[in-house]
Amino acid sequence: MDVSEKDELRNGDTTVNYDESANNPPPDWRVSGSNPVSDSYPTENLMMETLWYDPTNVQAVGYGGFNGVNASSSSSSFRGNIDRSLEIGWSLPNLLPPKGGNGMFLPNASSFLPPSMAQFPADSGFIERAARFSLFSGGSFSDMMNQQQPLGNPESVGLFLQGQCPSSEVNVVGGAHNDASAVMKETNKQNVPVSGNVSEDTQSSGGNGQKGGETSSKGFDSKKRKRNKQNAEADQSQRSQQSEEEPDNNGGDKKRNDEQSPNKSNSGKQQGKQASDPKDGYIHVRARRGQATNSHSLAERVRREKISERMKFLQDLVPGCNKVTGKAVMLDEIINYVQSLQRQVEFLSMKLATVNPQMDFNLEGLLAKDALQLRAGTSSATPFPPNMPIVYPPLPHGFMQQTLSCMGRTVSSPLSPPINGGYKRQEANGWEGDLQNVIQINYGAGDVPSDSQAAATDASLPSSNMKVEP
Amino acid sequence: MASADKPINTDVPEKDVFALHFLQSLSNLRRQNTFNSPEKTNDRVKKIKKAAYVSMARAAGGTNRLWSRALLRRAAKENNKIVRFPRRKKRVTCLRRRSNRRDPVEEEEAERLRNLVPGGGGMGTSKLMEETAHYIKCLSMQVKVMQCLVDGLAPK
Repeated sequence: MDVSEKDELRNGDTTVNYDESANNPPPDWRVSGSNPVSDSYPTENLMMETLWYDPTNVQAVGYGGFNGVNASSSSSSFRGNIDRSLEIGWSLPNLLPPKGGNGMFLPNASSFLPPSMAQFPADSGFIERAARFSLFSGGSFSDMMNQQQPLGNPESVGLFLQGQCPSSEVNVVGGAHNDASAVMKETNKQNVPVSGNVSEDTQSSGGNGQKGGETSSKGFDSKKRKRNKQNAEADQSQRSQQSEEEPDNNGGDKKRNDEQSPNKSNSGKQQGKQASDPKDGYIHVRARRGQATNSHSLAERVRREKISERMKFLQDLVPGCNKVTGKAVMLDEIINYVQSLQRQVEFLSMKLATVNPQMDFNLEGLLAKDALQLRAGTSSATPFPPNMPIVYPPLPHGFMQQTLSCMGRTVSSPLSPPINGGYKRQEANGWEGDLQNVIQINYGAGDVPSDSQAAATDASLPSSNMKVEP
Repeated sequence: MASADKPINTDVPEKDVFALHFLQSLSNLRRQNTFNSPEKTNDRVKKIKKAAYVSMARAAGGTNRLWSRALLRRAAKENNKIVRFPRRKKRVTCLRRRSNRRDPVEEEEAERLRNLVPGGGGMGTSKLMEETAHYIKCLSMQVKVMQCLVDGLAPK
């Protein structure tokens, strides 16, 4: 980690270069398969030149043919810069703090082996066997990795928790690293120099429904493991620097995993963070250890998560639902509450119907006046001052007196406009606190959307009431 | 899988909106029944109830919500009116997916809830929860408004 910080100081702009390359769409890296490195990956080579002191055309010459096979630019371009690139290569991903601390990538995995076997197919079993030979090239592996790159999202990927990996990968891990998630990191490492794509390809591929990506990367992980170990043993003399960096990096891995373990425990049943990037249409799900990773299981888990989230929301709404545990009981409570509310509506409407058959006749008058006041308040320049209910003292007697007297007046004689307004205000004071807002708002703020809505809806009122408007 | 994780939005308009709508529908009800005033209380109860629900659905944003759309559609169907909601097609198929892995008790409860919430038959479970939350909010608001009216009118 010392070296990485040193490099960070020295190459302050490397992260910028990585980000630039990360912003490139992944297909860009794959299109130019037949070109030599220096031509096909301009940004990367730019980056390489800034990063490394070795001339990059050496790499380009040496591995151009290999790159013709596929766009495994990262491994090939890292290859050959033993000392310099080792140091920088190890430290490079550490320069990417926004990528979620996915840290190291793995130059020794593919970059220090001769590219002689690049033409081998991506047969995982064969490669696994062949990986034991030190001559074997990592090119095909990186090909596989590169093939998976377009699946991931370069930006959102870094947000994932790195410590969590599906059980399938855990089983594959041979055991040089005691941390299972180190495998995960290695795949990520492989991705880092290429496109800044730190995605754990297995999860995203599982989530995105990309078939085959999971298995191939699984095999790839195991291969990687073995190769990594073997490289460490075989090329020790050449790569003294790297081998002395390796435990350091493993320690860094463990440290990072330790950092992520509280996150793991915090996330509970959730599968890690979801990508906060709104642009990508995918829901990024991470399976925790021991969880299934096929797309159906992931989708089902997402669905359940959503349901439980909404259930929690409902729990806050329904009184007495907080103490209840268990979804079924909670649903039962919710159902009871809805039923009671509906029964209440029925009961209240019954009451309203039985209170007085003439009452709603009166209500219509009230409403008409109400709406008229409202319309006057909104349209004209507020005939009443906004603080009208406060100006008029609240009456001690209730709403019924006003309504009754109002009814009497409406029965006996049509109301004159000023009296009508006065009644409206008294009414406002006499009502319950819940309904008091109606009149207040009607008198007061004219730009409340409810006013305009009500004004629009009361257009059907009889126009005979219009004369009441002062 | 393409749904963004948007927050649950169950904002409900103010009480006065509900009150205004309800008063309005009550007055409309009265105007309709002015001439045939001798009618049974049962009918009045039904009409007032329906007015309460419809005004609640209108106040809650009209056709923006699934439950309010379903309520309005049902109300309009009873009135033999043809309503068209242009924004969304009518959901004929039931979107519920049966799965034997799920908890049967939960499913049964969700089924009961579906029968309670208007328009719940075509919803998936998570959508049902969301709509239920909004529905509960609006319903409690409506109950408050009606309670206020009854309290204001009843004690002579």
